[in-house]
Amino acid sequence: MKVKVVTRILEANDRIAVENRKLFNNAGVYVINLMSAPGAGKTSIIEVTVKNIIKNLRIGVVEGDIAGTDDAQRVEGLGIPVVQINTGGACHLDANMINEAITDLPLKDLDLLIIENVGNLVCPAEFKVGEDMKVMILSITEGDDKPLKYPLMFQESSALILNKIDLLPYTDADIEKIKRNSLSLNPSLKIFEVSCKTGEGISEWTGWLQSLVK
Amino acid sequence: MHEVSIALSLLDIAKGYCEKEGYKGVESIGVKIGKASGVMSEALLFAFDAVKIGTIAEKAHLIIDEIPVSGFCNTCNKNFTVDEPYVVCCPECGDSSFQLETGRELDIYEMEVLE
Repeated sequence: MKVKVVTRILEANDRIAVENRKLFNNAGVYVINLMSAPGAGKTSIIEVTVKNIIKNLRIGVVEGDIAGTDDAQRVEGLGIPVVQINTGGACHLDANMINEAITDLPLKDLDLLIIENVGNLVCPAEFKVGEDMKVMILSITEGDDKPLKYPLMFQESSALILNKIDLLPYTDADIEKIKRNSLSLNPSLKIFEVSCKTGEGISEWTGWLQSLVK
Repeated sequence: MHEVSIALSLLDIAKGYCEKEGYKGVESIGVKIGKASGVMSEALLFAFDAVKIGTIAEKAHLIIDEIPVSGFCNTCNKNFTVDEPYVVCCPECGDSSFQLETGRELDIYEMEVLE
């Protein structure tokens, strides 16, 4: 017998994401879901962000990795609360993993929570975790063809951080093409050109982030 | 890779529905997968066959209805469909004033159940 069952496949995840969002709102913490391919500079962006705005905001971090605690140790060195999630193979964080992880964080004492997703340009875009905003990083060395190859993440993100711009002279990447194609996919995308190495552009990014968190 | 998570969510929904309504098993699950949803149909079929073993949907097959990416152009005043998993401009006039209409689906629309 055929029965009509009309439901979103990720309905369960989305429901937990809504729960997380309520917890975050009640605690008064602003949450960003930071996504990129492996090696684009997620942890480096967290480090420079924390160093730039630590005096004004209380920041916590959730580190998502398939295995290991290297990133959590780097962030712990900054003297802020951090929880490591090891997905054990899963290529993305989902709402339930975040729901469990945040019980180990002093949410009420935080202004900003940064969730570093698993390095992957595809899957994390599909799973809401209860964030206020998704932010993606693309490093210049990944090439200027990425927006049209991985459109979903560019469409889902509110901001795009173009990292490693100090390496522009050494690559064939056309930064204008990246910006043009990204904006075609998502006209409201906010784009920042930065280098964690030289510090260029970081204050524009942190200034903007800070204006949202208040 | 996240097709395994999608397949597990499908099984959870099927299991929950059968328990609630008192059905004995699932013979098929019909899903709509938009071409811009980020899910690959082949990978989802493979993942579903792997994770369904030992569940209420062990004998079920997955029927995937792939939905193309389509939109409505405000300049041409008509609908369009594209082959790519994204739209950057209207394929007719090249204008970027458009609304996406389909392509992001990730839905179950029906199940065949055993009473």
